Amino acid sequence: MDPLELAHLLRRTEYVVRPERMTALAAATRAEAVDDVLAVSPTPVAIPTYIDHDIDGEGYSQWVFAVKWWIDRMVDSPKPVQEKMTWFWHGHFCSSWDKVSSARLMTDQNKLFRDQAFGNFRTLTQAMSVQPAMLYYLDNVDNVKTSPNQNFARELMELFTLGVGNYTEDDVTAAAKAWTGHGVNRTTDTYEFRPERHDTEPKTFMGVTRNWDGPQIVDFLLSENAATKLVACKFLTRKLWTYFAYQAPTQNIVDELAQVLFDSDFEMLPWLRALLLRDEFYSTTAQQGLVRSPIEWVVAVMYQTGFRGAALNPQWYVDGMGQIPFGPPNVAGWKQNGYWTNSSLFGARAEFARDVTWKLRKNDANAVSKNHTPAQAVDTVAAMFGLDLSNTTRQALLDYIAVRRLNEPWGEWWESTNLLTMAMLTPEMHLA
Amino acid sequence: MLDADISTRDALQLLTDRDDDPTRMGRRRFLQMVGMGAGAGALAGSLGGFDDAWAGAPIGAADGIVVLVGLFGGLDGLNTVVPYTNSLYYDQHGGLAIPPTQVLKLNTQVGLHPRLPYLKSLYDHGEVAVVQGVGYDNPDLSHFTSMATWMYGRAGNGTPSTGWVGRWLDGLSTDEMLRAVSVGQGLPLHLIGAARRGTSVPQWGVGFGGDTSRHDLWMYDGLRKMSVASAGRGAWHDAVAGTMRKVVDVGQEIAPVFARDLPPGDLEKKMTVAARLINANLGLRVVDLGHDGFDTHSGQPNTLNDLLTDLDNGLRTFFTTLDDRFRSRVTIMTYSEFGRTSWSNDSAGTDHGTVNNHFVIGRAVKGGLYGQQPSLVGLRRWDRMQHHVDFRSLYATVLDGWLGGGSSTVLGANYPKIGLFRTGPGVGVATGGAGLAVKGDWVGLTPARIYDSRRAPRLLPLGAGTTGEVQVNGVAGVPPSGVAAVVLNVTAVAGTAASSLTVWPTGGAKPGAANVSIQGSNSTSGVVTVKPGAHGRVNIANDLGAVHCVVDVLGYYRTTAAGRLQAQAPRRIMDTRSGLGGRRGALGGAASFGLKVRGVGGVPTTAQSVVANVTVVTPTASGGLTVWPSGVARPAASSMSFSARTNTTSLVFAKIGADGKIVVYNSAGSSHVVVDVVGWFTTTARGRFTPLAPGRLLDTQPDAVAPLGPSGSVAIAVRGRGGVPSSGVSTVLLNVTAKAPSAATNITVHPSGAARPSVSNIAAKAGVDTSGSALCLLGADGKVVIHNSTGTTDLVVDVVGWFTS
Repeated sequence: MDPLELAHLLRRTEYVVRPERMTALAAATRAEAVDDVLAVSPTPVAIPTYIDHDIDGEGYSQWVFAVKWWIDRMVDSPKPVQEKMTWFWHGHFCSSWDKVSSARLMTDQNKLFRDQAFGNFRTLTQAMSVQPAMLYYLDNVDNVKTSPNQNFARELMELFTLGVGNYTEDDVTAAAKAWTGHGVNRTTDTYEFRPERHDTEPKTFMGVTRNWDGPQIVDFLLSENAATKLVACKFLTRKLWTYFAYQAPTQNIVDELAQVLFDSDFEMLPWLRALLLRDEFYSTTAQQGLVRSPIEWVVAVMYQTGFRGAALNPQWYVDGMGQIPFGPPNVAGWKQNGYWTNSSLFGARAEFARDVTWKLRKNDANAVSKNHTPAQAVDTVAAMFGLDLSNTTRQALLDYIAVRRLNEPWGEWWESTNLLTMAMLTPEMHLA
Repeated sequence: MLDADISTRDALQLLTDRDDDPTRMGRRRFLQMVGMGAGAGALAGSLGGFDDAWAGAPIGAADGIVVLVGLFGGLDGLNTVVPYTNSLYYDQHGGLAIPPTQVLKLNTQVGLHPRLPYLKSLYDHGEVAVVQGVGYDNPDLSHFTSMATWMYGRAGNGTPSTGWVGRWLDGLSTDEMLRAVSVGQGLPLHLIGAARRGTSVPQWGVGFGGDTSRHDLWMYDGLRKMSVASAGRGAWHDAVAGTMRKVVDVGQEIAPVFARDLPPGDLEKKMTVAARLINANLGLRVVDLGHDGFDTHSGQPNTLNDLLTDLDNGLRTFFTTLDDRFRSRVTIMTYSEFGRTSWSNDSAGTDHGTVNNHFVIGRAVKGGLYGQQPSLVGLRRWDRMQHHVDFRSLYATVLDGWLGGGSSTVLGANYPKIGLFRTGPGVGVATGGAGLAVKGDWVGLTPARIYDSRRAPRLLPLGAGTTGEVQVNGVAGVPPSGVAAVVLNVTAVAGTAASSLTVWPTGGAKPGAANVSIQGSNSTSGVVTVKPGAHGRVNIANDLGAVHCVVDVLGYYRTTAAGRLQAQAPRRIMDTRSGLGGRRGALGGAASFGLKVRGVGGVPTTAQSVVANVTVVTPTASGGLTVWPSGVARPAASSMSFSARTNTTSLVFAKIGADGKIVVYNSAGSSHVVVDVVGWFTTTARGRFTPLAPGRLLDTQPDAVAPLGPSGSVAIAVRGRGGVPSSGVSTVLLNVTAKAPSAATNITVHPSGAARPSVSNIAAKAGVDTSGSALCLLGADGKVVIHNSTGTTDLVVDVVGWFTS
């Protein structure tokens, strides 16, 4: 496999290009490399007990711990694609720590995303529908026969499976009634079905009149009704392609990959494998097509500098960058590229980069520039952050060193520290 | 119903930072963006090379500014503009309804929510248009679609990719980075056009990008160079490089806006930033900001109380912070994705509705009620009200009435305009620079009040960094033209922080030295001689906290013949401690004394006005002293302020009455008064006055002159410096500031070569920067001497004018 293509595959599926992975896969074909990337250990990953329990009401300290734990895992996991997919589902089936207010329920949900990251989408949707964090987040706990709450029923179709325009308001009304009574036992914080709160009247959903129950709605959409099943496959495929490759895929890419998902009856591993095998995934459009999300950029900085969450406290910065783990902005999750690319959000990246520099400096990072020619200094920082610099960026860094040395021949300290900050803020570093 | 918490932010976030492709940014715009500063030139020359091309060009004097205040989540319009005589409202809103007794009544039918008293006061001043029943056909009840519709501002379906402000930007003849700004964490859809976009400014300030050390500037320049040309790595590579560059450019532009502290509340913070950005005159025409949480599905009463309190405080803070010179150029408009149901729900809340009431606020706004309250007749639980005003009519009105037109292009149709404006923007706004300095003769006036921020039209203190604008020409006996300078007594009232006021001609640059030091809530005053600037006005700026400002005029210098100055070494003509001048014993509260000045203390019988250092000794209470010509009623103005138990000295310019007397009046407590004459005006004296932009004669800190120690003196050359000519000068007028004195001290100014008089010019408290005016003859060597009595103090001395010999 072409080394540039291999590097692209690793960068997109494992956040960064780790030299040992490049070496290990140097002789692999594309299919072999993709299979290796996707060969995730089936052993479920345990959530640390500290964040698995409700210790205090608000759970802030657990949230901090959870953010650090998860980001560290993205950096250190032997197969980071598992975390890429866990995040994908986190941004798809959104719940927010703020609203759910339970460390245990939120981390249960995180575990569910990870355990089923490459499982079956319909199974995952059924599991998500009755997961207490989701029941709280989208208010199905308040969805009762006497006063239906449409929140979950609407999003199930609008954001989780079909997309807007593929259902009617009547379908929302009927689906909401179908989901009445599916709530949470507030004592045990576990899923509970309360028959007396469930609407047992006949309801007409998508033209079919039955005594619908909530899970049957999911089965209808994703199995029984071939039309909505195909719509869902395309809806999900477009989202997955955008997550891994680039925005606005052509219809044939969507159609062909959606068919893979359809044919496998929502098994996700063959679907993702097919995506990573396509030529379009290795095209120039794809290689230049995505901006690192804040978390992805933080993960790259952490990997390249060797720091982990305990040292860098990324939870203090990611809000300003626009992305809070366990805190999606809304039920629609995060978007990409332009969503992250504005001066106030990038300003937060710059603040983080400067803070990382400060910590590097304590480890005597002056070496990146001390006794180096400008070219050697630039090469050193580029290698340090795994950057293949464009001529424009390279010249900007050279000019910086030249200006500084022209005006102030002493003082390696500022030159090195600023060079490190600049390297983290290069466009090369911001691109996925 | 959709959920309160998530769907609101859902809509906002989805409509913020459009997921756009930079290749669609507009080729011209992109080239312009990456091309600027490309020729930064030689390496050495690029130090601090933030070329002016990026600096925002100040807007024109008749350019309106719109501040959009988003009330996200869907404001309950019925509880904001309450139909308090409508029984259906009380039936349907149930326990949420505002009782008629609590409503701030606008007329016999509607009133404002009780937590909007400031908005009510603006309404009472005719500055608020309440537009009722705003909505549109076929509304969707989702936050997303509704917000998208409002931000898009055109008819049609589908997810919009441009917003109404963005399309307005597209139509402007030039592109400026800071033309439209969103104060917050991203760029919402309505600020995105087909070819241009606004800029987002975070409300907590700029960190990276705003530093000024050379090391930082070199780094910033390096980051900017990463986007000087396309890197050939695709559009997103260039886009993120351009964004990093923008971080630096915006940081350099707006960092000064955050130099002062911001209030803690989210909306107050954003509104303060908005006002400061406008004050900085960076070229802003549209400022967008928002406040979230109005999606009150449950527990509405407390939530809405808090949110409307936030809104009211935000408006107050905004106008406190906004400079007077922009007051007639700014219009505020509220918006929200939708209204709420007229029926309350089972959770003490209301659900998504359709129609809403909105506010358009500004000095040029024709205050009153517009549209009509939607009917509540026959509405059942989930029914929605019908609208009367299309929201695009509101946009059209603002676009054409305040943003220079183009509504039919921007909105894609001709929407009827509502006629909310009395005038266009900037009516009565000062333009241009201050006039040339000319020599002037003195005309003393009976002191008169010409500005009081406590009263209409301002009604608000001057916030931190805020500039008030005072009309001096043409008021209170000052002629409309031919005025070389005015002498004002500027009083700071009820300050919230240690701060200072600075006075300068409108249209001119703000001088470095302050005129009046503010010591918290105690009133302080200073006599200021200043040249009127553009439109015959002067600016007064407050540095920190908030303070009310009162200005009284004591007299003026005119270009035609009148009084001319003869200065002298101080001669005491009144001392209530000894009985000198005919009064023995402290002057009690509300007591006055007629003091003969003609023929006394060197003052000739022909003198028209007298200049004196007036000292208040051991006052028992805080108050003010008024000095005015005998024979006329006591004016409602003061000549100086003082604090209890604090000796205070001020230079006083007083016209003399027909009987040769001036009257001295003490407003409160009991105080000894000492008057030392330092000069007088007659038609036969020689001293004609020339005002100067303050010229720095001494600043002990940067000048590396040691601070003055106990009984320390410093001689300062004045002749030929700071705008003072090298010959033909008899007397100078100085602004002297004692900075952070280590002990309470007296500062005395006297001519070089003359004995130091026993009367001082400034009495300063320990640790408090104190400024004062000093009139002083020049010594034969062209110098004056400044003496410090106690402790150690730094000194700043500016010359503000001179008199001919």
